[in-house]
Amino acid sequence: MKFSCWSFLQLQASRARLFKEYKEVQREKSADPDIQLVCDDSNIFKWTALIKGPSETPYEGGVFQLAFAVPEQYPLQPPQVRFLTKIFHPNVHFKTGEICLDILKNAWSPAWTLQSVCRAIIALMAHPEPDSPLNCDSGNLLRSGDLRGFQSMAKMYTRLAAMPKKG
Amino acid sequence: MEKEEEKGCNSSSSLNWESFRDDDIMHQHSAILDEEAFKVPFVGDKEPLSALAAEYHSGSPILLEKIKLLEENYSAIRRTRGDGNCFFRSFMFSYLEHILETQDKVEVDRVMANVEECRKTLQGLGYADFTFEDFFSLFLEQLESVIQGEDASISHDELVKRSRDQSVSDYVVMFFRFVTSGEIRKRSEFFEPFILGLTNATVDQFCKTSVEPMGEESDHVQIIALSDALGVPIRVVYLDRSSCETGVSVNHHDFIPCALQNGESSSEINPYITLLYRPGHYDILYSK
Repeated sequence: MKFSCWSFLQLQASRARLFKEYKEVQREKSADPDIQLVCDDSNIFKWTALIKGPSETPYEGGVFQLAFAVPEQYPLQPPQVRFLTKIFHPNVHFKTGEICLDILKNAWSPAWTLQSVCRAIIALMAHPEPDSPLNCDSGNLLRSGDLRGFQSMAKMYTRLAAMPKKG
Repeated sequence: MEKEEEKGCNSSSSLNWESFRDDDIMHQHSAILDEEAFKVPFVGDKEPLSALAAEYHSGSPILLEKIKLLEENYSAIRRTRGDGNCFFRSFMFSYLEHILETQDKVEVDRVMANVEECRKTLQGLGYADFTFEDFFSLFLEQLESVIQGEDASISHDELVKRSRDQSVSDYVVMFFRFVTSGEIRKRSEFFEPFILGLTNATVDQFCKTSVEPMGEESDHVQIIALSDALGVPIRVVYLDRSSCETGVSVNHHDFIPCALQNGESSSEINPYITLLYRPGHYDILYSK
């Protein structure tokens, strides 16, 4: 009884917060042209985002889809975010799309929002951290100084998976 | 080809670590924390100081001697859970309990004005209102409810219950984290040298990684900032193995908010919040 009561309060709090974020996203739609954040029609705990690959990176020109699963303890607990679009990046798992980013783990705080998480992921795309790799192949290329090898692999996957097919 | 390379990364262990995702590990971690929760509530019961001595009955003689000295001035201890939030949680309970017992409406009005200042500070720093306002209103709700004679007034028992209820307790802890972070950022020039000495991080990094996330432990920097922001003096009594040649004594430090330091001599200020610090942990102490 006590437990269900607590989760009900949490659920209300997280719903209210997500609704505020939803309104903010609608209001600020044009402020951040690189991010398009959309809430699921029937479930406010499920969101998807389309983010543009940052310029002057091998991801430039690509559009990457992210899936958000928001826990009931949000915003005390971080959302779970993963890439749905295949991406070659040291801190993204090549198969599952899982992202290694401190703010999605132990450095999370309610000061972050779904929108600012998207910005942090774009920043991670531009500044990979090869010393904590989820994709070892990609991390090893960077750590061994083979920037060219890394860029051509990353660019190839951007073309294959993140760009609209021509013709 | 791909398989072979993965093996290289997974070291020689026969366990397939690839199948453990980070969120599995996080879930397991929170399950362990939940298990700990049954051992110590967020805020424990008030216990006589002898309970503290019992913890060390076969331990360091210096500590036992210090606890004896503590008994001259203090009568009881209330433990908090060692989950990294113990400083904020101890402050929360101690402050609300103080208001409940004294019914000091002047203090409530004073602190509410400071809370409004903190709200403006965060807005000025560019925090979106919706990221912190729920935490602010939950704290103000608790503050109002400990004042008696209103429909929403609560008893001491209810205060203990709420402090143990995660949906209240964690939200209030998070409120203090926002207030602390705002104060540090607002006076970043003042806090920068302290922070550099501690962590080699910038003020922004420090706030993002050591103040705002739940479960991050607090040090002098956070205590000074919270005490200054809310204008509430805090005494911290240190219980450790240190001693000097002239004998054993218990040290304490009073954190006096900067607003109170001018005018009256700060040695005359007697903090009503007293925390017991043992390396890595804060509990609440009760004066005689």
